[in-house]
Amino acid sequence: MPEPLIEVDALTKEYRVHERAPGVVAALASVLRRKYKIARAVDALSFSIGAGERVGFLGPNGAGKTTTLKVLSGLLHPTSGTVRVAGFDPRRREHPFLRNITLVMGQKQQLLWDLPPADTFILNRAIYDLPEREYQETLGELTELLERGDLAERPTRQLSLGERMKCELVAALLHRPKVLFLDEPTIGLDVSMQVTLRDFIRRYNERFGATVLLTSHYMDDVTALCPRVIVIDKGRLTYDGDLQALAHRVRPHKRVRVRREDGREETVDVPQSELKARVTQLLAERGIADLTVEDPPLEEVMRELFMEKRTTT
Amino acid sequence: MSLRSTLKAYPTLLRVGLAEAVAYRAEFLVWMLTMTMPLVMLALMSAVAREAPIGRFDQNGFVSYYLTTLIVRQMTGAWVVWELVREVREGTLALRLLRPIHPLVGHSADSLAAIPMRGLIVLPVAVIMLIATSGHDVTHDPWVVVIFLASLGGAWLLNFAVSATIGTLALYMESSMSIWELWLGCFMIFSGYLLPLELFPPWLERFARLLPFAYLQAVPVEILTGMHDRTSALHQLGAQYAYAAAAVLVMALVWRRGVKRFAAFGG
Amino acid sequence: MRRYLRLFAVQLRASIELALQYRVDFFVGGAMALFWLFWNLVPMVVVWGRRPTIAGWGFWEALLVVAWFTLLRGVLEGAVQPSLVQVVEHIRKGTLDFVLIKPADAQFLVSTARFEPWRGLDSLGAIALAVYALHRLGRVPAPGEVAIALLLTIAACALLYAFAILVVSAAFWVVRLDNLIYLFNSVFDAGRWPSTVFQGAWRVLFTFVVPLALMTTYPPLALLGRLKVSTAIAGLAGAVAFVTMARLIWLRAIGHYTSASS
Repeated sequence: MPEPLIEVDALTKEYRVHERAPGVVAALASVLRRKYKIARAVDALSFSIGAGERVGFLGPNGAGKTTTLKVLSGLLHPTSGTVRVAGFDPRRREHPFLRNITLVMGQKQQLLWDLPPADTFILNRAIYDLPEREYQETLGELTELLERGDLAERPTRQLSLGERMKCELVAALLHRPKVLFLDEPTIGLDVSMQVTLRDFIRRYNERFGATVLLTSHYMDDVTALCPRVIVIDKGRLTYDGDLQALAHRVRPHKRVRVRREDGREETVDVPQSELKARVTQLLAERGIADLTVEDPPLEEVMRELFMEKRTTT
Repeated sequence: MSLRSTLKAYPTLLRVGLAEAVAYRAEFLVWMLTMTMPLVMLALMSAVAREAPIGRFDQNGFVSYYLTTLIVRQMTGAWVVWELVREVREGTLALRLLRPIHPLVGHSADSLAAIPMRGLIVLPVAVIMLIATSGHDVTHDPWVVVIFLASLGGAWLLNFAVSATIGTLALYMESSMSIWELWLGCFMIFSGYLLPLELFPPWLERFARLLPFAYLQAVPVEILTGMHDRTSALHQLGAQYAYAAAAVLVMALVWRRGVKRFAAFGG
Repeated sequence: MRRYLRLFAVQLRASIELALQYRVDFFVGGAMALFWLFWNLVPMVVVWGRRPTIAGWGFWEALLVVAWFTLLRGVLEGAVQPSLVQVVEHIRKGTLDFVLIKPADAQFLVSTARFEPWRGLDSLGAIALAVYALHRLGRVPAPGEVAIALLLTIAACALLYAFAILVVSAAFWVVRLDNLIYLFNSVFDAGRWPSTVFQGAWRVLFTFVVPLALMTTYPPLALLGRLKVSTAIAGLAGAVAFVTMARLIWLRAIGHYTSASS
C-alpha cells in the first residue's frame, strides 16, 4: 500500500442541537430555557487512504459521511481525534493545503448563477493564482475529458443539471488538486450523464494520480469507480476494505439466473460452495436457453449490511 | 376553497403564526427596531421646537405625535411583499398553491399573528407617552378612541393589500421590489410618517390628503392626538375603509391574473 | 497583494458584466438614484422652511451633510451591501463552504463578491450637491480642510465596511439576516441630519455607538472650517479601532461556523 495521504484517527464530531416541541406554549417556554441535546455525528472513526486510491464512502442517510468529508476539508473542526490530509492539519485551512484539495457537492454549486461558467473559471484562476499557460492547459485537458464543448459561454442558469455538473467539476479541478472529496456528485443526473462523470473522475484520477473519496447513493458509481469502500453507520466504521470481499462477506451467495426456452425465468441464490454442483445440475436440465451467474446487486448487499448492524446493536 | 373551511382553519393559522413569531423573536425584534425612525424624527423636531412651537406642535406635541406614529406603524405594518417575492423567486409559491387554502389568506394570518408580539413592545411606548405628556395631547373622548382602534384595522388592511399586490406583481416582472421601494418612498413623505402633514405648505398638504398614504399613518395618529371630533373622525374612517376595500379588490384581481400567468408559463 | 488586486479586478468585472446583462435595471437603478436624491430633500426643505437655522445649521450647511450622506449611501448600497446579500445567500444555501475552501482570505472574497456599478451615479450627484452648497455659501475651503475632509471620508467608508462585516458575522449566529441589513439602513438614515442637532442619548448613540457623526457630519464641518483637529484625529483613531475589531469578530465568527455548524 502506498504511503497514506489521508489519515483519520479516532475522529469524533458532536453537534449541539437545539430541541423544541411544536406549539405556542413550547415556543414561549423555549424563550426562557433552551434545551440542547448532544448529537454524535461521527464516533471514533479511523481509517487511512493512500495516494492515488479511489475509495467509496458508504452509509445510510445521516451516517456521518458529509460531516466526515467536511472535517477532512477543514470546514468543520473535530470534537476529538486527529485528521491529516496530504501532510496538513485541515483544521488550520492553510493555503497550501487548500490548493491541494477540492470539494464537490452534488446538491450545492459554486458556479456564479447569472454568469457563464467561464466567469467562474476566470475567478478561480485568480483565486488559485494559476499561471495563464497552466490554466489554459488544464482547462483544455478538462474540457477534452468531459467533451464539454461550448457550455461555458451560456449563463449557468440556462444550463441543464448535467451540463452544470460538468462545469462544476471543471471549476473544482482547475487547480489540479491532489485530493478530491466528492459528495454525491452524480445526484439527480440521468444514467448516461452519470456514466460520463464517472469516466471523467476515473480518468482524472489516472492522469493526475489524484486521491478520490466519494460518497454516492448510486451503487453503480461505487462499483464502477471504487475498488475499496469504507462503510459507516451512525458515525461508526462498519467495514473497510475490498468491495468484492464485502459483498461476499454479507452475501456469500451467487445469483444464478435461468431462462427457459418457453420464456420462463427464475432466479436462485446459491452458496459459493455449492455453485459448481448446482450450475452443472441446472445445465443438465432440458430446455434451458440461457444461464448467468452474477453477484447480488450492491444495493441489496448494503441494505442487508445495515439491517444486520441494526439488529446486533 | 370554501369560506367555511377557511374560517375553520384560520384560528389554527393564527396560532402557528404566533408560534413562529415567538420562535423567530430575535429576528422579529430586529425587524421592529427598523421602525424606530419616528424616534429619530422626534429627537430632531424637538430640537427644532425648542425655542418656540411650530404650528400647533410644541415639544410635548411632537412627543405625542411621533410616539403615536410609532405605535400605528408597529401595529399596522405588513411585509408580505418580501415573503411573496421570495416565494416566487424560489418557486415555493407552487407548493402554497397546492394547499386547499388561499395563499394570501395564509399570509394574512401570519401578518396578524405577529401583532400580539408587536403589542408587547408598543405598550410601554404608549405608557411612556401618556406619562411624558400627562395625556395632554391625547383625545379624551372614548368614542374617538374606539374610532382610532377601528382605524388601526383599516390601516393594516390597506397596508396588507398594497403589500400583497406589489408582491404578486413578482409573478409578472423581475423588478417588483423597485415598485415597493417607490411606494415606500412616497409613503415616507405623504403619510405623515416623517413629518406631520400640517407642517407642509398648504397646497402640498391638500394634495397629500387626497392620496392613500395619509390613511396609513396621519389619519389614525391625528384621530388619537385629538385633531378630529367625532364626526370628522368618522368621515376619515369611512374614507380609509373605502381605500382599503378598493385595495383589496385590486389585490384580488392582480392575484387572479398573476396565478393564471404562473400556471401558463410555469413561473 | 498583487494577487488580491487582480482578484478584486476579476470580481468587479463580473459585477459589471452582470449589471450589463440586466440593462433595464441599470437605467432604472440610475434614474431612481437621482430621483431619490431630490426626493429625500423634501423633509429638509419643510423643516428649514420653518426656521432659518437649527442648532446653528443653516439650510445650505445642512445640505452639505445631506451630500455626504448621499455619497456614503452610494458606497454602502453600491459596494458594501450587495456583497452582504451574497453572503446571506451563501449561508442560507450552505455554499459558503465553497468560499471557505478557497486558498484566499474569506473575508476578502465575500466582501468583494458583488458591486452595483450604477450606484456610482449617487456619488456623482452627491458631489454636485456639495459643490453647489459650497457655492451658495460662498465658501472656498482651504486645501488642508479638503484633505481632512477626504481623510475622514475614507475613514467613513472603512467604517461602513466594518459595519457590514459585523453584520455578516452576526449572520453566523442569527438565522435571518435581511433584517439586520434593514436595521442598519434605517439607523444609517439618521445620518442625513447634522449630528449636533441631536441631544442627550441620541448624540451619544450617533457619535460613539453608530458613528454617524464621523461619517456625515465631520467632513462637512471640516470643509466649513469648524472641525477641531483633535476631533478629527480622535475620529480617525476610532475608525481604525473599529475596523480592527470587526476583523477580529469576523475571525471568531468563522471559527464558530466551522466548529459548530452542520
